[in-house]
Amino acid sequence: MAKIIVVTSGKGGVGKTTSAAAIATGLALRGKKTVVIDFDVGLRNLDLIMGCERRVVYDLINVIQGEAGLNQAMIRDKRVDNLHILPASQTRDKDALSAEGVEKVLDTLTKDFDYVVCDSPAGIERGAQLAMYYADEAVVVTNPEVSSVRDSDRILGLLGSKTRRAEQGQDPVKEHLLITRYDPERVNHGDMLNLEDIQEILSINLIGLIPESEAVLRASNQGVPVTHDQKSDAGQAYVDTVSRLLGEDIPLRFHEYQKKSLLSRVFGGGRR
Amino acid sequence: MSLNVDRAGTAFSFKGGMLPMTVMELTSADPEQIREQLAGKVSQSPAFFQHTPVVLSVEKLAEPHLALERICAVCRAHKLLPVAVRGGADPVKQSAWALGLGWFPPQEERVRNLESVSRSLPEEELPSPAPAGMAPVANRIHRGTVRSGQQVSAAEGDLIVLGSVNAGAEVLAGGNVHVYGALRGRALAGIHGDREAGIFCHELHAELLSLAGNYKRLEDIDPQLLGTAVQVRLNDDQLAIAPLV
Repeated sequence: MAKIIVVTSGKGGVGKTTSAAAIATGLALRGKKTVVIDFDVGLRNLDLIMGCERRVVYDLINVIQGEAGLNQAMIRDKRVDNLHILPASQTRDKDALSAEGVEKVLDTLTKDFDYVVCDSPAGIERGAQLAMYYADEAVVVTNPEVSSVRDSDRILGLLGSKTRRAEQGQDPVKEHLLITRYDPERVNHGDMLNLEDIQEILSINLIGLIPESEAVLRASNQGVPVTHDQKSDAGQAYVDTVSRLLGEDIPLRFHEYQKKSLLSRVFGGGRR
Repeated sequence: MSLNVDRAGTAFSFKGGMLPMTVMELTSADPEQIREQLAGKVSQSPAFFQHTPVVLSVEKLAEPHLALERICAVCRAHKLLPVAVRGGADPVKQSAWALGLGWFPPQEERVRNLESVSRSLPEEELPSPAPAGMAPVANRIHRGTVRSGQQVSAAEGDLIVLGSVNAGAEVLAGGNVHVYGALRGRALAGIHGDREAGIFCHELHAELLSLAGNYKRLEDIDPQLLGTAVQVRLNDDQLAIAPLV
Protein backbone atom coordinates (compact mmCIF):
# COMPACT_ATOMS: atom_id res chain seq x y z
CA MET A 1 0.00 0.00 0.00
CA ALA A 2 1.32 3.38 -0.98
CA LYS A 3 1.73 6.26 1.39
CA ILE A 4 -0.26 9.31 0.36
CA ILE A 5 1.68 12.53 0.94
CA VAL A 6 0.01 15.91 0.43
CA VAL A 7 2.15 18.96 -0.27
CA THR A 8 0.16 21.93 0.98
CA SER A 9 0.56 25.43 2.45
CA GLY A 10 -2.58 27.54 2.42
CA LYS A 11 -0.71 30.47 0.92
CA GLY A 12 0.04 30.60 -2.77
CA GLY A 13 3.44 31.06 -4.36
CA VAL A 14 5.47 29.53 -1.54
CA GLY A 15 6.74 26.58 -3.58
CA LYS A 16 4.17 23.81 -3.28
CA THR A 17 4.37 22.62 -6.87
CA THR A 18 8.16 22.99 -7.00
CA SER A 19 8.40 20.97 -3.79
CA ALA A 20 5.89 18.32 -4.90
CA ALA A 21 7.83 17.84 -8.17
CA ALA A 22 11.19 17.81 -6.39
CA ILE A 23 10.07 15.40 -3.67
CA ALA A 24 8.34 13.03 -6.11
CA THR A 25 11.46 13.04 -8.30
CA GLY A 26 13.65 12.42 -5.26
CA LEU A 27 11.51 9.49 -4.13
CA ALA A 28 11.62 7.95 -7.62
CA LEU A 29 15.40 8.44 -7.76
CA ARG A 30 15.56 6.42 -4.54
CA GLY A 31 13.80 3.57 -6.33
CA LYS A 32 10.31 4.20 -4.96
CA LYS A 33 7.48 3.82 -7.44
CA THR A 34 5.91 7.27 -7.27
CA VAL A 35 3.04 9.16 -8.84
CA VAL A 36 2.53 12.89 -8.41
CA ILE A 37 -0.99 14.28 -8.87
CA ASP A 38 -1.85 17.89 -9.68
CA PHE A 39 -4.97 18.90 -7.70
CA ASP A 40 -4.88 22.49 -8.91
CA VAL A 41 -7.74 22.07 -11.37
CA GLY A 42 -8.03 25.13 -13.59
CA LEU A 43 -4.50 26.36 -12.85
CA ARG A 44 -2.47 23.46 -14.14
CA ASN A 45 1.23 23.95 -13.37
CA LEU A 46 2.78 20.67 -12.32
CA ASP A 47 3.16 19.43 -15.90
CA LEU A 48 5.23 22.55 -16.71
CA ILE A 49 7.52 22.05 -13.72
CA MET A 50 7.89 18.38 -14.61
CA GLY A 51 8.51 19.25 -18.27
CA CYS A 52 5.75 17.07 -19.68
CA GLU A 53 3.21 19.71 -20.75
CA ARG A 54 3.38 18.62 -24.37
CA ARG A 55 2.42 15.09 -23.56
CA VAL A 56 -0.82 15.76 -21.68
CA VAL A 57 -3.82 14.07 -23.33
CA TYR A 58 -6.17 13.16 -20.51
CA ASP A 59 -6.23 14.54 -16.98
CA LEU A 60 -7.45 13.85 -13.45
CA ILE A 61 -10.97 15.15 -14.19
CA ASN A 62 -11.30 12.90 -17.25
CA VAL A 63 -10.42 9.95 -15.03
CA ILE A 64 -12.83 10.99 -12.27
CA GLN A 65 -15.64 11.41 -14.78
CA GLY A 66 -14.91 8.07 -16.42
CA GLU A 67 -13.87 9.56 -19.77
CA ALA A 68 -10.41 8.01 -19.62
CA GLY A 69 -8.60 5.27 -17.75
CA LEU A 70 -5.88 6.00 -15.22
CA ASN A 71 -3.22 4.45 -17.43
CA GLN A 72 -4.25 6.68 -20.32
CA ALA A 73 -4.01 9.82 -18.22
CA MET A 74 -0.79 9.10 -16.35
CA ILE A 75 2.37 10.37 -18.03
CA ARG A 76 5.58 8.45 -17.56
CA ASP A 77 8.53 10.69 -16.66
CA LYS A 78 11.28 10.62 -19.29
CA ARG A 79 14.16 11.16 -16.88
CA VAL A 80 13.41 8.77 -14.02
CA ASP A 81 11.92 5.32 -14.08
CA ASN A 82 9.22 4.71 -11.49
CA LEU A 83 7.86 8.26 -11.78
CA HIS A 84 4.43 9.12 -13.16
CA ILE A 85 2.53 12.39 -13.40
CA LEU A 86 -1.24 12.75 -13.29
CA PRO A 87 -1.99 16.25 -14.60
CA ALA A 88 -4.90 18.50 -13.67
CA SER A 89 -7.44 19.83 -16.11
CA GLN A 90 -6.86 23.40 -17.28
CA THR A 91 -10.33 23.96 -18.71
CA ARG A 92 -12.42 22.86 -15.71
CA ASP A 93 -12.67 24.19 -12.19
CA LYS A 94 -12.38 22.64 -8.77
CA ASP A 95 -16.09 21.84 -8.54
CA ALA A 96 -15.43 19.05 -11.02
CA LEU A 97 -13.53 17.22 -8.26
CA SER A 98 -15.72 14.87 -6.27
CA ALA A 99 -14.76 13.19 -3.02
CA GLU A 100 -15.84 9.78 -4.31
CA GLY A 101 -13.95 10.25 -7.56
CA VAL A 102 -10.75 11.28 -5.78
CA GLU A 103 -11.08 8.36 -3.39
CA LYS A 104 -11.49 5.92 -6.26
CA VAL A 105 -8.42 7.25 -8.09
CA LEU A 106 -6.31 7.17 -4.92
CA ASP A 107 -7.50 3.67 -4.01
CA THR A 108 -6.37 2.39 -7.39
CA LEU A 109 -3.04 4.20 -7.27
CA THR A 110 -2.16 3.07 -3.74
CA LYS A 111 -2.30 -0.54 -4.93
CA ASP A 112 0.35 -0.03 -7.63
CA PHE A 113 2.65 2.60 -6.18
CA ASP A 114 4.89 3.14 -3.14
CA TYR A 115 4.18 6.87 -2.88
CA VAL A 116 1.33 9.07 -4.07
CA VAL A 117 2.27 12.75 -3.86
CA CYS A 118 -0.67 15.18 -4.03
CA ASP A 119 0.16 18.72 -5.10
CA SER A 120 -2.47 20.86 -3.38
CA PRO A 121 -3.83 24.13 -4.75
CA ALA A 122 -3.48 27.26 -2.61
CA GLY A 123 -6.32 28.27 -0.33
CA ILE A 124 -8.46 26.26 2.04
CA GLU A 125 -11.40 25.56 -0.24
CA ARG A 126 -12.63 22.43 -1.95
CA GLY A 127 -9.54 21.70 -4.04
CA ALA A 128 -7.16 22.02 -1.11
CA GLN A 129 -9.46 20.06 1.20
CA LEU A 130 -9.81 17.17 -1.26
CA ALA A 131 -6.04 17.11 -1.86
CA MET A 132 -5.44 16.62 1.88
CA TYR A 133 -8.50 14.55 2.81
CA TYR A 134 -7.05 11.08 2.15
CA ALA A 135 -3.44 11.90 3.13
CA ASP A 136 -1.29 9.82 5.45
CA GLU A 137 1.41 12.44 5.68
CA ALA A 138 1.54 16.14 4.95
CA VAL A 139 4.42 18.35 3.91
CA VAL A 140 3.50 21.90 4.90
CA VAL A 141 5.49 24.32 2.77
CA THR A 142 6.24 27.59 4.55
CA ASN A 143 8.23 30.69 3.62
CA PRO A 144 10.03 32.64 6.35
CA GLU A 145 7.43 35.36 6.49
CA VAL A 146 4.59 36.09 8.89
CA SER A 147 1.67 35.63 6.48
CA SER A 148 2.94 32.30 5.21
CA VAL A 149 3.39 31.02 8.77
CA ARG A 150 -0.14 32.13 9.66
CA ASP A 151 -1.61 30.31 6.64
CA SER A 152 0.40 27.17 7.39
CA ASP A 153 -0.96 27.26 10.92
CA ARG A 154 -4.48 27.37 9.50
CA ILE A 155 -3.75 24.42 7.22
CA LEU A 156 -2.36 22.44 10.17
CA GLY A 157 -5.66 23.02 11.94
CA LEU A 158 -7.53 21.61 8.95
CA LEU A 159 -5.17 18.62 8.73
CA GLY A 160 -6.10 17.86 12.31
CA SER A 161 -9.85 18.04 11.69
CA LYS A 162 -10.85 17.85 8.02
CA THR A 163 -9.07 14.70 6.91
CA ARG A 164 -10.24 11.11 6.70
CA ARG A 165 -7.81 10.13 9.46
CA ALA A 166 -9.19 12.85 11.75
CA GLU A 167 -12.83 12.14 10.96
CA GLN A 168 -12.48 8.40 11.43
CA GLY A 169 -10.43 8.77 14.59
CA GLN A 170 -7.37 6.99 13.17
CA ASP A 171 -3.76 7.98 13.86
CA PRO A 172 -3.46 11.64 12.87
CA VAL A 173 -1.89 12.75 9.60
CA LYS A 174 1.89 12.90 10.09
CA GLU A 175 2.80 16.58 9.66
CA HIS A 176 6.16 17.78 8.37
CA LEU A 177 7.39 21.35 8.05
CA LEU A 178 9.30 22.26 4.88
CA ILE A 179 10.74 25.77 4.91
CA THR A 180 11.48 27.11 1.45
CA ARG A 181 13.13 30.28 0.09
CA TYR A 182 15.21 30.58 3.24
CA ASP A 183 17.89 33.22 2.96
CA PRO A 184 20.26 33.06 5.96
CA GLU A 185 21.70 36.47 5.15
CA ARG A 186 18.32 38.19 5.24
CA VAL A 187 17.43 36.24 8.37
CA ASN A 188 20.59 37.63 9.97
CA HIS A 189 19.50 41.14 9.02
CA GLY A 190 16.08 40.54 10.55
CA ASP A 191 14.23 40.78 7.22
CA MET A 192 13.01 37.21 7.49
CA LEU A 193 11.71 35.06 10.29
CA ASN A 194 14.32 32.65 11.53
CA LEU A 195 14.04 28.91 11.63
CA GLU A 196 13.53 28.68 15.38
CA ASP A 197 10.66 31.22 15.39
CA ILE A 198 8.81 29.37 12.64
CA GLN A 199 9.26 26.05 14.40
CA GLU A 200 8.13 27.50 17.70
CA ILE A 201 4.89 28.87 16.25
CA LEU A 202 3.99 25.84 14.15
CA SER A 203 5.42 23.28 16.60
CA ILE A 204 5.76 20.43 14.12
CA ASN A 205 8.72 18.36 12.99
CA LEU A 206 11.06 20.04 10.46
CA ILE A 207 11.60 17.79 7.44
CA GLY A 208 13.74 20.13 5.39
CA LEU A 209 14.99 23.62 4.67
CA ILE A 210 15.41 24.77 1.09
CA PRO A 211 17.61 27.84 0.66
CA GLU A 212 16.61 30.66 -1.67
CA SER A 213 18.36 29.70 -4.87
CA GLU A 214 18.57 30.72 -8.50
CA ALA A 215 18.54 27.06 -9.37
CA VAL A 216 14.83 26.80 -8.43
CA LEU A 217 13.60 29.40 -10.92
CA ARG A 218 15.85 28.01 -13.63
CA ALA A 219 14.61 24.49 -12.97
CA SER A 220 10.97 25.63 -13.15
CA ASN A 221 11.45 27.37 -16.45
CA GLN A 222 13.33 24.46 -17.95
CA GLY A 223 10.80 21.93 -16.72
CA VAL A 224 13.41 19.91 -14.89
CA PRO A 225 12.69 19.33 -11.17
CA VAL A 226 15.46 20.92 -9.13
CA THR A 227 16.31 17.57 -7.54
CA HIS A 228 18.15 16.73 -10.77
CA ASP A 229 20.44 19.74 -10.27
CA GLN A 230 22.76 18.10 -7.80
CA LYS A 231 25.30 20.93 -8.02
CA SER A 232 22.78 23.40 -6.58
CA ASP A 233 22.19 23.87 -2.86
CA ALA A 234 18.41 23.67 -3.39
CA GLY A 235 18.74 20.37 -5.25
CA GLN A 236 20.86 18.93 -2.44
CA ALA A 237 18.44 20.24 0.17
CA TYR A 238 15.55 18.42 -1.54
CA VAL A 239 17.58 15.20 -1.61
CA ASP A 240 18.14 15.60 2.15
CA THR A 241 14.40 16.22 2.59
CA VAL A 242 13.51 13.03 0.72
CA SER A 243 15.98 11.03 2.81
CA ARG A 244 14.33 12.33 5.98
CA LEU A 245 10.90 11.44 4.58
CA LEU A 246 12.26 7.92 4.15
CA GLY A 247 13.17 7.91 7.83
CA GLU A 248 16.88 8.72 7.66
CA ASP A 249 18.57 11.02 10.13
CA ILE A 250 20.30 13.72 8.07
CA PRO A 251 21.80 16.84 9.67
CA LEU A 252 20.36 20.20 8.56
CA ARG A 253 22.33 22.19 5.99
CA PHE A 254 22.14 25.65 4.40
CA HIS A 255 20.56 27.33 7.42
CA GLU A 256 23.59 29.28 8.57
CA TYR A 257 24.98 32.34 6.94
CA GLN A 258 28.38 31.57 5.39
CA LYS A 259 29.29 34.46 3.21
CA LYS A 260 31.96 32.94 1.02
CA SER A 261 30.61 29.51 0.40
CA LEU A 262 27.13 30.85 -0.30
CA LEU A 263 28.40 33.36 -2.83
CA SER A 264 30.54 30.80 -4.56
CA ARG A 265 27.58 28.45 -4.73
CA VAL A 266 25.34 31.13 -6.19
CA PHE A 267 27.89 32.18 -8.80
CA GLY A 268 28.90 28.61 -9.48
CA GLY A 269 25.25 27.80 -10.09
CA GLY A 270 24.60 30.93 -12.12
CA ARG A 271 27.26 30.21 -14.72
CA ARG A 272 26.30 26.73 -15.59
CA MET B 1 -26.00 2.12 50.88
CA SER B 2 -23.69 -0.74 49.96
CA LEU B 3 -24.22 -4.07 51.58
CA ASN B 4 -20.54 -4.96 51.58
CA VAL B 5 -20.95 -8.28 49.89
CA ASP B 6 -17.72 -9.93 48.86
CA ARG B 7 -16.05 -7.78 46.20
CA ALA B 8 -15.28 -10.44 43.65
CA GLY B 9 -18.96 -11.27 43.39
CA THR B 10 -20.10 -7.70 42.68
CA ALA B 11 -20.56 -7.01 38.99
CA PHE B 12 -21.63 -3.41 39.45
CA SER B 13 -22.91 -0.88 41.87
CA PHE B 14 -25.34 1.99 41.36
CA LYS B 15 -24.09 5.47 42.12
CA GLY B 16 -25.91 8.76 41.99
CA GLY B 17 -24.28 11.24 39.65
CA MET B 18 -24.83 14.69 38.20
CA LEU B 19 -23.14 14.99 34.83
CA PRO B 20 -23.09 18.13 32.74
CA MET B 21 -25.39 17.55 29.77
CA THR B 22 -26.18 19.56 26.71
CA VAL B 23 -29.87 20.08 26.08
CA MET B 24 -30.87 20.60 22.46
CA GLU B 25 -34.09 22.58 22.59
CA LEU B 26 -36.06 21.96 19.42
CA THR B 27 -38.19 24.78 18.08
CA SER B 28 -38.86 22.98 14.81
CA ALA B 29 -39.92 19.40 14.24
CA ASP B 30 -38.70 19.40 10.63
CA PRO B 31 -35.67 17.09 10.34
CA GLU B 32 -34.53 18.82 7.13
CA GLN B 33 -34.49 22.23 8.76
CA ILE B 34 -32.59 20.80 11.72
CA ARG B 35 -30.11 19.16 9.37
CA GLU B 36 -29.37 22.40 7.52
CA GLN B 37 -28.86 24.42 10.68
CA LEU B 38 -26.79 21.71 12.36
CA ALA B 39 -24.47 21.58 9.37
CA GLY B 40 -23.89 25.31 9.82
CA LYS B 41 -23.13 24.92 13.51
CA VAL B 42 -20.74 22.04 12.87
CA SER B 43 -18.67 24.12 10.49
CA GLN B 44 -18.54 26.95 13.05
CA SER B 45 -17.34 24.87 15.99
CA PRO B 46 -16.43 21.35 14.90
CA ALA B 47 -14.74 20.71 18.26
CA PHE B 48 -18.11 20.69 19.99
CA PHE B 49 -19.49 17.90 17.80
CA GLN B 50 -17.44 14.93 18.97
CA HIS B 51 -20.13 12.39 19.74
CA THR B 52 -21.44 14.81 22.33
CA PRO B 53 -24.36 13.33 24.30
CA VAL B 54 -27.45 15.52 24.13
CA VAL B 55 -30.93 15.52 25.59
CA LEU B 56 -33.55 16.47 23.00
CA SER B 57 -36.00 18.84 24.58
CA VAL B 58 -39.33 18.90 22.72
CA GLU B 59 -41.24 20.95 25.27
CA LYS B 60 -41.60 23.90 22.89
CA LEU B 61 -43.16 21.76 20.17
CA ALA B 62 -46.92 21.45 19.98
CA GLU B 63 -47.04 18.40 17.67
CA PRO B 64 -48.18 15.24 19.46
CA HIS B 65 -46.29 13.05 16.96
CA LEU B 66 -42.67 13.65 16.00
CA ALA B 67 -40.35 12.12 13.39
CA LEU B 68 -38.09 11.26 16.31
CA GLU B 69 -36.19 8.56 14.48
CA ARG B 70 -35.25 10.91 11.64
CA ILE B 71 -34.30 13.71 14.02
CA CYS B 72 -32.03 11.31 15.91
CA ALA B 73 -30.45 10.15 12.65
CA VAL B 74 -29.73 13.78 11.69
CA CYS B 75 -28.11 14.36 15.10
CA ARG B 76 -25.96 11.24 14.83
CA ALA B 77 -24.87 12.19 11.31
CA HIS B 78 -23.49 15.39 12.85
CA LYS B 79 -21.79 13.60 15.73
CA LEU B 80 -24.35 14.39 18.38
CA LEU B 81 -25.56 11.42 20.39
CA PRO B 82 -29.16 11.78 21.57
CA VAL B 83 -29.42 9.91 24.86
CA ALA B 84 -32.85 10.99 26.03
CA VAL B 85 -35.91 13.07 25.23
CA ARG B 86 -37.42 15.63 27.55
CA GLY B 87 -41.09 16.54 27.44
CA GLY B 88 -43.66 15.82 24.76
CA ALA B 89 -46.91 13.92 24.72
CA ASP B 90 -47.40 10.22 25.34
CA PRO B 91 -46.68 9.13 21.72
CA VAL B 92 -43.33 10.92 21.93
CA LYS B 93 -42.54 9.11 25.17
CA GLN B 94 -43.42 5.77 23.59
CA SER B 95 -41.33 6.35 20.48
CA ALA B 96 -38.37 7.54 22.61
CA TRP B 97 -38.51 4.26 24.51
CA ALA B 98 -38.87 2.33 21.27
CA LEU B 99 -35.68 4.01 20.01
CA GLY B 100 -33.82 3.01 23.17
CA LEU B 101 -33.76 6.58 24.51
CA GLY B 102 -34.61 7.69 28.01
CA TRP B 103 -37.54 10.02 28.68
CA PHE B 104 -37.64 12.90 31.15
CA PRO B 105 -40.76 14.78 32.20
CA PRO B 106 -40.94 18.43 31.06
CA GLN B 107 -38.70 20.73 33.03
CA GLU B 108 -41.35 22.87 34.77
CA GLU B 109 -43.08 19.86 36.18
CA ARG B 110 -39.85 18.41 37.51
CA VAL B 111 -38.79 21.64 39.16
CA ARG B 112 -42.15 21.90 40.86
CA ASN B 113 -41.80 18.35 42.15
CA LEU B 114 -38.36 19.06 43.54
CA GLU B 115 -39.55 22.22 45.22
CA SER B 116 -42.42 20.53 46.90
CA VAL B 117 -40.11 17.75 48.05
CA SER B 118 -37.51 20.10 49.44
CA ARG B 119 -40.14 22.18 51.17
CA SER B 120 -41.43 19.16 52.95
CA LEU B 121 -37.96 18.18 54.13
CA PRO B 122 -36.53 19.56 57.36
CA GLU B 123 -33.47 21.78 56.86
CA GLU B 124 -30.90 19.22 58.05
CA GLU B 125 -32.08 16.59 55.63
CA LEU B 126 -31.77 18.65 52.48
CA PRO B 127 -30.19 16.53 49.78
CA SER B 128 -26.47 17.28 49.64
CA PRO B 129 -25.15 18.88 46.47
CA ALA B 130 -23.03 16.94 43.96
CA PRO B 131 -20.61 14.56 45.68
CA ALA B 132 -17.14 15.93 46.42
CA GLY B 133 -14.59 15.32 43.69
CA MET B 134 -17.06 15.82 40.90
CA ALA B 135 -16.87 19.17 39.18
CA PRO B 136 -20.25 20.89 39.12
CA VAL B 137 -19.22 22.86 36.02
CA ALA B 138 -17.72 21.62 32.80
CA ASN B 139 -14.05 22.59 32.72
CA ARG B 140 -12.20 21.71 29.59
CA ILE B 141 -8.59 20.78 28.90
CA HIS B 142 -7.27 21.23 25.37
CA ARG B 143 -3.99 19.45 24.68
CA GLY B 144 -1.82 20.85 21.89
CA THR B 145 -1.67 24.03 19.88
CA VAL B 146 -4.84 25.95 19.06
CA ARG B 147 -4.21 26.95 15.47
CA SER B 148 -5.25 29.91 13.33
CA GLY B 149 -8.95 29.70 12.48
CA GLN B 150 -9.75 27.31 15.31
CA GLN B 151 -12.06 28.17 18.16
CA VAL B 152 -11.95 26.28 21.45
CA SER B 153 -14.50 27.03 24.11
CA ALA B 154 -15.58 25.92 27.54
CA ALA B 155 -19.05 27.43 27.68
CA GLU B 156 -19.59 27.03 31.41
CA GLY B 157 -16.28 26.36 33.15
CA ASP B 158 -12.57 27.05 32.83
CA LEU B 159 -10.58 26.41 29.69
CA ILE B 160 -7.06 25.06 30.12
CA VAL B 161 -4.84 24.99 27.04
CA LEU B 162 -1.73 22.82 27.32
CA GLY B 163 0.04 24.44 24.40
CA SER B 164 0.00 27.74 22.58
CA VAL B 165 -2.89 29.71 21.13
CA ASN B 166 -1.66 30.97 17.77
CA ALA B 167 -2.52 34.21 16.00
CA GLY B 168 -5.95 33.99 14.39
CA ALA B 169 -7.20 31.43 16.92
CA GLU B 170 -9.81 32.15 19.58
CA VAL B 171 -10.27 30.64 23.04
CA LEU B 172 -13.41 31.32 25.10
CA ALA B 173 -14.59 30.31 28.54
CA GLY B 174 -17.47 31.04 30.85
CA GLY B 175 -14.84 30.92 33.61
CA ASN B 176 -11.08 31.43 33.47
CA VAL B 177 -8.75 30.89 30.53
CA HIS B 178 -5.35 29.34 31.27
CA VAL B 179 -2.76 29.04 28.52
CA TYR B 180 0.36 27.09 29.37
CA GLY B 181 2.21 28.37 26.34
CA ALA B 182 2.26 31.50 24.22
CA LEU B 183 -1.05 33.36 23.83
CA ARG B 184 -0.93 34.95 20.38
CA GLY B 185 -4.61 34.79 19.44
CA ARG B 186 -7.78 36.09 21.11
CA ALA B 187 -8.74 35.06 24.62
CA LEU B 188 -12.18 35.77 26.10
CA ALA B 189 -12.96 34.79 29.68
CA GLY B 190 -16.17 35.26 31.65
CA ILE B 191 -18.20 35.28 28.45
CA HIS B 192 -21.48 35.08 30.40
CA GLY B 193 -20.52 38.09 32.47
CA ASP B 194 -18.53 36.53 35.31
CA ARG B 195 -16.50 39.51 36.54
CA GLU B 196 -14.25 37.32 38.68
CA ALA B 197 -12.91 35.40 35.70
CA GLY B 198 -9.32 35.89 34.63
CA ILE B 199 -6.86 35.04 31.87
CA PHE B 200 -3.51 33.47 32.69
CA CYS B 201 -0.74 32.76 30.21
CA HIS B 202 2.96 32.03 30.03
CA GLU B 203 3.79 34.34 27.16
CA LEU B 204 1.59 37.27 26.26
CA HIS B 205 1.24 38.33 22.62
CA ALA B 206 -2.57 38.28 22.56
CA GLU B 207 -4.45 39.96 19.71
CA LEU B 208 -7.31 40.59 22.10
CA LEU B 209 -8.02 40.02 25.78
CA SER B 210 -11.59 40.17 27.01
CA LEU B 211 -13.08 39.74 30.48
CA ALA B 212 -16.85 39.83 30.93
CA GLY B 213 -17.21 41.96 27.80
CA ASN B 214 -14.44 44.44 28.61
CA TYR B 215 -11.52 44.16 26.27
CA LYS B 216 -8.01 45.26 25.42
CA ARG B 217 -6.41 45.01 21.99
CA LEU B 218 -2.77 44.20 21.38
CA GLU B 219 -2.23 47.92 20.70
CA ASP B 220 -3.50 48.85 24.16
CA ILE B 221 -1.20 46.47 26.00
CA ASP B 222 1.94 47.85 27.64
CA PRO B 223 4.76 46.65 25.32
CA GLN B 224 6.87 45.82 28.35
CA LEU B 225 4.44 43.07 29.28
CA LEU B 226 4.60 41.40 25.87
CA GLY B 227 6.35 38.06 25.93
CA THR B 228 6.06 37.72 29.70
CA ALA B 229 3.95 35.49 31.93
CA VAL B 230 0.90 37.45 33.08
CA GLN B 231 -2.47 37.33 34.78
CA VAL B 232 -5.34 39.48 33.61
CA ARG B 233 -8.07 40.56 36.02
CA LEU B 234 -11.00 42.93 35.87
CA ASN B 235 -10.54 46.03 37.99
CA ASP B 236 -13.37 48.61 37.81
CA ASP B 237 -14.27 47.72 34.22
CA GLN B 238 -10.61 47.97 33.28
CA LEU B 239 -8.41 45.03 32.39
CA ALA B 240 -5.46 44.93 34.77
CA ILE B 241 -2.48 42.98 33.45
CA ALA B 242 0.11 41.98 36.03
CA PRO B 243 3.04 39.57 36.15
CA LEU B 244 1.90 36.03 36.84
CA VAL B 245 4.07 35.61 39.93
